[in-house]
Amino acid sequence: MKIPKLLLPILVIAGIFGGYALRTVFTKPSTAAEFQGNAVAKLECEVDGIRCKGTAGFFTSLYEMEPGIASIVTYASEHKAVIEYDPAITTPDRIRRVMEAPIPLRDGSRRQVFKCLSMNGETDFRE
Amino acid sequence: MKTRYFRYGLMTVITGLVLYLALGYGSRSFEAFCPFGGMESLWGLFTTSEFSCALGPLNLSMLVGLLILAIIAKKAFCGWACPIGFMGELLNFVSRKVWKKRPPVAPKVNGGMKLLRYVVLVLALIFTYKSGELILRGYDPFYVIFSGMGHGTVGLTSLIVLGAIIVGSFVVPMFFCRYLCPLSATFDPFSKLGLIKVVRNEDGCTNCGKCARVCPQGLEPDKAVKLSHRDCTNCFECVDSCPHKDVLTIQATY
Repeated sequence: MKIPKLLLPILVIAGIFGGYALRTVFTKPSTAAEFQGNAVAKLECEVDGIRCKGTAGFFTSLYEMEPGIASIVTYASEHKAVIEYDPAITTPDRIRRVMEAPIPLRDGSRRQVFKCLSMNGETDFRE
Repeated sequence: MKTRYFRYGLMTVITGLVLYLALGYGSRSFEAFCPFGGMESLWGLFTTSEFSCALGPLNLSMLVGLLILAIIAKKAFCGWACPIGFMGELLNFVSRKVWKKRPPVAPKVNGGMKLLRYVVLVLALIFTYKSGELILRGYDPFYVIFSGMGHGTVGLTSLIVLGAIIVGSFVVPMFFCRYLCPLSATFDPFSKLGLIKVVRNEDGCTNCGKCARVCPQGLEPDKAVKLSHRDCTNCFECVDSCPHKDVLTIQATY
């Protein structure tokens, strides 16, 4: 059966869009951690600096000793962290300050590793 | 109108979108769209139900979408969409202009070199499966170019590898795709099954060889009845170059 040439780009675009549409079927977090706090409220943050499983794990470790944090789930491919917390103990502003605080490096200097780009997809902190 | 213009148009749009994401616009990293990342994530998903390193669901779903495409239209993704394939074609175009009589690659050397892409595929999978990190991404031209030597590249070594691939592309058309691309190796078995292929009408063919001269993959459509070679990207350069009507046609056939 003869095929018109221009069917090919249509099939290629369909393959790409089909692949994109299927992404929700395979969604899995990069890291998931639970802490002591009560899960009363939830924050979805887009974080510059969460690039891989290693950086996602490091991001999570920043909140290990932080009171009021119930859980952190990260998605490295989407540069996203979902944080459950207790608003009676901590606040979104405090959570943001923890992630953006400069980290001490081996050479004695300090560097900011993570930057919160948005929270809940509504509050946008991009400069 | 030549198919090439449609192909280049589509590849320009896709390369532009990747660049747009690479420059930090959009909500996702350009890496998230790499279908080879889907291959690298499979072992981690089977063993720990987690994605390795920077890989995510989009890598896997892109791989699935493009494998289905390969079963229907062979390596059409490589010939119609891949940004690295596009750059390879542009380098080939420039090379043809400046180096009119490029020496052909001996068939045995060409065949032997093509095995390298399976070596790269196996190494990339072993390193990723063993370490959980994308160790080879520092040498991947797609990552090195679009990340602008970003996180995970290995300084001068990344640049040397990229330079070698560019020089190689001047000498051999589609150097990276032919010899080193692990995604191409992944598509190979599916490409063999591809439904849509170029078919040659032996009665009308004068064996002028024009189709073989323009094939970016160095294939010989003038010696086949059905072009089911695993390297064919269904770019249709051969169909456009054929001086005879209805000798090379595009058909859905097994």
